[in-house]
Amino acid sequence: MKTTKKVLATMLAMAVAAAPAVSVSAADETIKLTVWGAEEDQTLLNELTEKFKAAYPDFNFDIQIGVESESTAKDTILTDVEAAADVYSFASDQLFDLVKAGALANLDEVGEALQVAGKTLDDVKNANVEASVEAASYDGNLYAFPRSGDNGYFLYYDSSVLTEEDVASWDSLLAAAEKAGKKVGMTYASGWYNASFFYGAGFTTGLNDDGTTTMDWNGTSPDGISGVEVAQAMLNIAANPAFMAVADGDISNQLATGDLCACVSGTWDAITAQDIYGDGYAATKLPTYTVGDKQVQQGSVAGYKFVGVNGFSENTGWATVYADFISNEESQQTFFDQRESGPTNKNIIESDAVKANVAIAALAQQSQYSSVQNVGGKFWDPAKTFGEMLAQGSVAAEDTAAIQETLDNLVEGATAPIE
Amino acid sequence: MASFFKAIGEFFADFGTAVSKGDFAVKLSLLWMGAGYARRKQYVKAVIMTIVEIALIVFTFKFAMEYVPKFATLGTVQMEKVFNMKTMKSEFNDYDNSFTILLFSLFSFVVWFAGAVVWMRNVVNVYELQKLEEAGKHINTFREDFHSYTEEKFHITLLTLPVLGIVIFTFIPILLLIFVAFTNYDQQHMPPKSLFSWVGFQNFLSLFGGGGLTTTFGYAFVRVLGWTLVWALFATFTTYIGGILLSLLLNSKKTRMPKLWRTLFIVTIAVPQFVSLLLVRNFFANNGIVNTICSNIGLTGFLQHIGLVSNNYIPFLSGPGWAHVMIILINIWIGVPYQMLIATGVLMNLPSDQLESARVDGATPFQVFRKITMPYLLFVTGPALVTDFVKNINNFNVIYLLTEDVYTTTNQAMASSQAKEVDLLVTWLFRLTQDYYNYKMASAIGIIVFIICAVFTLVAFNRMIKGDREGTYQ
Repeated sequence: MKTTKKVLATMLAMAVAAAPAVSVSAADETIKLTVWGAEEDQTLLNELTEKFKAAYPDFNFDIQIGVESESTAKDTILTDVEAAADVYSFASDQLFDLVKAGALANLDEVGEALQVAGKTLDDVKNANVEASVEAASYDGNLYAFPRSGDNGYFLYYDSSVLTEEDVASWDSLLAAAEKAGKKVGMTYASGWYNASFFYGAGFTTGLNDDGTTTMDWNGTSPDGISGVEVAQAMLNIAANPAFMAVADGDISNQLATGDLCACVSGTWDAITAQDIYGDGYAATKLPTYTVGDKQVQQGSVAGYKFVGVNGFSENTGWATVYADFISNEESQQTFFDQRESGPTNKNIIESDAVKANVAIAALAQQSQYSSVQNVGGKFWDPAKTFGEMLAQGSVAAEDTAAIQETLDNLVEGATAPIE
Repeated sequence: MASFFKAIGEFFADFGTAVSKGDFAVKLSLLWMGAGYARRKQYVKAVIMTIVEIALIVFTFKFAMEYVPKFATLGTVQMEKVFNMKTMKSEFNDYDNSFTILLFSLFSFVVWFAGAVVWMRNVVNVYELQKLEEAGKHINTFREDFHSYTEEKFHITLLTLPVLGIVIFTFIPILLLIFVAFTNYDQQHMPPKSLFSWVGFQNFLSLFGGGGLTTTFGYAFVRVLGWTLVWALFATFTTYIGGILLSLLLNSKKTRMPKLWRTLFIVTIAVPQFVSLLLVRNFFANNGIVNTICSNIGLTGFLQHIGLVSNNYIPFLSGPGWAHVMIILINIWIGVPYQMLIATGVLMNLPSDQLESARVDGATPFQVFRKITMPYLLFVTGPALVTDFVKNINNFNVIYLLTEDVYTTTNQAMASSQAKEVDLLVTWLFRLTQDYYNYKMASAIGIIVFIICAVFTLVAFNRMIKGDREGTYQ
């Protein structure tokens, strides 16, 4: 134990001493990296990898690319962190679990490796939109490179049925839909979607060090709106005959039936929506909802796709350089061009091509009302149940005491310590 | 049971006699396992035993001693690393991994146990040789010994591999599961980054609602357990009775084209279960085809009117009560063909002399069924019924495929423990490990499931084969 510490200390001293001299010599040894990316990104990743090798001709790389969906990355990686890929893509909601398990290298510790690419970690932080950097950080340290910002939701609608004024608020939206004999779909039974009403009213969620959640939904928000009022607004929307509460992940099926003239979803449903709505295909920010006599803008959860470096990777340095390479401005541009993936890079977001993309433009419009969802694992089931109760109308909108109790239960369940 | 302990006692007695009455070579075998064989000129065996002994010693010092000494604490050295800019590599300290310590310690214990048995058995064997020599009898050469394993000791040769397989792939994992239930292995203590440690009976305490951190876990556990037992009972007996009735119907002389009907029912088996379950799930979804039909023919409106349904859909698989009944009904549809096959087989072998004499005595078909067919069926399929019950307690497929992503609980206390009203213990356990990395609780629940199944099976089988039931039937 003592000797280990001594060795560590010497190594640390050596590292510090070596730091100013950036010359990473071209070693004879092959640098082995494994990379996991989504199935549909494989060709692109291969292409970027070739570019990467070409950018560092003095080094021998052996880069293996494997398939792992961003949405399931966490499950696979946490099965055996030591055997997982050196560089992998994942969805932003997995960040905390991955950090906790040591599966993500602290980039503020290894960021100096980027000197090889002639940049610093601050360059990365400045190049991407602030919210994405915030979402990729935990406890003030950056843990992943933002690569795409299209993992959020907004409103798709059929402009042949609904006007721009109609989609401005839930009231007018539902009224117009009812008149047209159509429905508006949204997922209530998911903490990812139903939090949008609360975030919009100024409520927050937070994550503690021990993995527990903090939330204030059963009180009154800084905006002076009480949780009960938000729940009442949600109940009123759900009670409208033109509203359809859709099960999580079922939006695209419901879209396909043609019953929905508008729905809350994300870029993953862009193609389905385009097919169904045809020339009427349009998307915009989420509507406002009514609390008392005022309109509250519905918030949303900003979701990102990140590229992370495995905390147990031996070749951490090169893994970091590679991870930066496949998420830098040029690569994000390639991702947008080939995969229509919404960028997080400030320059690309400002480009005309991005602004012309209906779904990504709507997402950008919504992004000013979106927030990063910091919650622990205990949040999801109680929040899901809460949404389902509102969707089914298990509590009456007039019964404030019952709503308050439901909110109290939600907060108690979601903030419970981890046993 | 008693004979098992008697065998153990005899084994130790033999060992004692061998040690006390053995000559010098036998006693030396305690230290050098090849000694006794070498003394009786069984050199090949002596070499083999020496190699086994060396292998054991090497295993102990090169492998086991790395893990077993840390077994009491499950590791103390946290992972630390330093990034070295010069080599572009991370340098790690020699950190402990609680999980590998636990796993390899258990493995070492099993190997040591086997080693101890071999060591004691060895002494007994060489004492046997000594006695043979003293009596002036023939001592087998290695070739003769080797030969015996393809002749009179062939069963040992045959069983070696399966037994090894069971130990490595079944016994050690189960042992691991049991031990994890006494640790705090969860998301906060995930190796390799963090260490986990022993916590005694804490997990079982929180499972039963006492001393745990959340009160809802005990609340959810009781309800999930209740539904698990209700489900197992209904699922077993509905399909059993349904299968018998169906096969009686198909076996009836009045049924035309029984083969065609039988084939049709078996087709449901031919389609993979998960395909049909997922399809059925979609049929009965809140926005599914059955709901559309029901609302078109006015059934939904009628149910709303009498207050059975509060939404504009029938919550077939999404409302408590509704979902419970539906799951059992869908399971009948899936399970009956299997039971029908079994029952048909049994019915075809009904002792015809008894049926004949019953008919001669003028018994009604119902009397024949009650007095002959049913007792015979129960007698033959009784053990299968017990296994079915146990299988249904752990019937993951039906419950998970029918309710996952469809059923959302509106009971907030259940939701706080990640449980649903329609969860079986296994599906709850699955979600706890898969989504919440709560391995310690999952292990504790696993042990409870095991105890329930084991007790039920033992009691049921004991009752069934008690006395000479076969004789009573005849």
